[in-house]
Amino acid sequence: MQTKEKSYKVAGHIFSLKMDEGEKLWNVLDNYSPFECEVIPDPVFTLELVEKVETCDKKELYVSNPDVYEQRIDIYNIEDGYLFEMAPFGDVPVCGWMRVDPDFTHGKLMVEKDKRFCVNNALMLMYAFRTADLDTLEMHASVTVKDGKGFLFLGKSGTGKSTHSRLWLKNIPGTHLLNDDNPIVRVVDGQARVYGSPWSGKTPCYRNEDYPVGAFVRINRAPYDAIHRMSVPEAFASVYSSSSGLRAIKRIGNGLYSTLSTVIQLVPCYVLDCLPDDEAAIVCSKEVLGNA
Amino acid sequence: MRIIEGFVLRPLVGEYIVIGEGIAQINFNKMVSLNPTAAYLWESVEGKDFTVEDLTKLLTDKYEVGEEQAAADAAALAAKWIEAGIVSE
Repeated sequence: MQTKEKSYKVAGHIFSLKMDEGEKLWNVLDNYSPFECEVIPDPVFTLELVEKVETCDKKELYVSNPDVYEQRIDIYNIEDGYLFEMAPFGDVPVCGWMRVDPDFTHGKLMVEKDKRFCVNNALMLMYAFRTADLDTLEMHASVTVKDGKGFLFLGKSGTGKSTHSRLWLKNIPGTHLLNDDNPIVRVVDGQARVYGSPWSGKTPCYRNEDYPVGAFVRINRAPYDAIHRMSVPEAFASVYSSSSGLRAIKRIGNGLYSTLSTVIQLVPCYVLDCLPDDEAAIVCSKEVLGNA
Repeated sequence: MRIIEGFVLRPLVGEYIVIGEGIAQINFNKMVSLNPTAAYLWESVEGKDFTVEDLTKLLTDKYEVGEEQAAADAAALAAKWIEAGIVSE
């Protein structure tokens, strides 16, 4: 059996995936195609799909306790790094095990079921944890582009981030969707930029494009439509809670804090109290486009 | 009382915040803002057991403030930190 390697460049960081040449999964990784690049000798991290990861002593670091419809990601300390256990839903058994070195540069993934879910998740986790101290944020947001700038809608699952993006596409001429779930934000030459990624939740929107960030908008369900600017601590808290990474790992906590405190000084942050109606997009765009 | 493990003081654009970065605070999305005086007290008692009297003394040592005012401020701040869940009694 021959191992095949492919590399992908997401927000300027190149990572590699290694799987058996005959692995059928290679044929269905369409979400990575726009990001494929030449294989390089020193990617930021490499994930390898293997037949078996050795069992070992493990100490609980983070247990997710997911709801039925949420995915499970449990993290353990092991002798030579971390062990991740994952499942697509809260009520099904663990089907993916990933062993990672302490720096998140090498991961080995064993999968029993739901291979595509596990590989996507493992790559997202490796990406977020590895790049957290490289001026990079992997965010939970839906991003719409207008006038050459990206507008990130933040909020917990179910508050209507994607819905609000749809409302922009419908009501504001000249808009398009960049990513619907997991865009990347980086600070580059003193500017905050948002990048598309191979991870976009349920919406197949995998654009290899990037734009300066126009604004962060926290979506808040309310019986009316109104928008206001957040204070600095509010803005920090809001963007912080929408960024991936395990802060208990010191390198990651420090990296996230450093990037976030820079980003919120570069970009205006708002709260939008809104209904899921056309008016919400009009009220929001009028305010944020004027200040972007 | 004592600062609960995992809470970290971070400067933020001329202000200070305390955020939970430990395992215990993984789902703790609250954040507490501190002014420079409160931040000075926080830094002085990090990693130690402390009392309202300790905070009072830290205030009177550094600032031109009467004992009575300092004691009242220290007690109010300690109560606020306990209520916010960032300090244990």
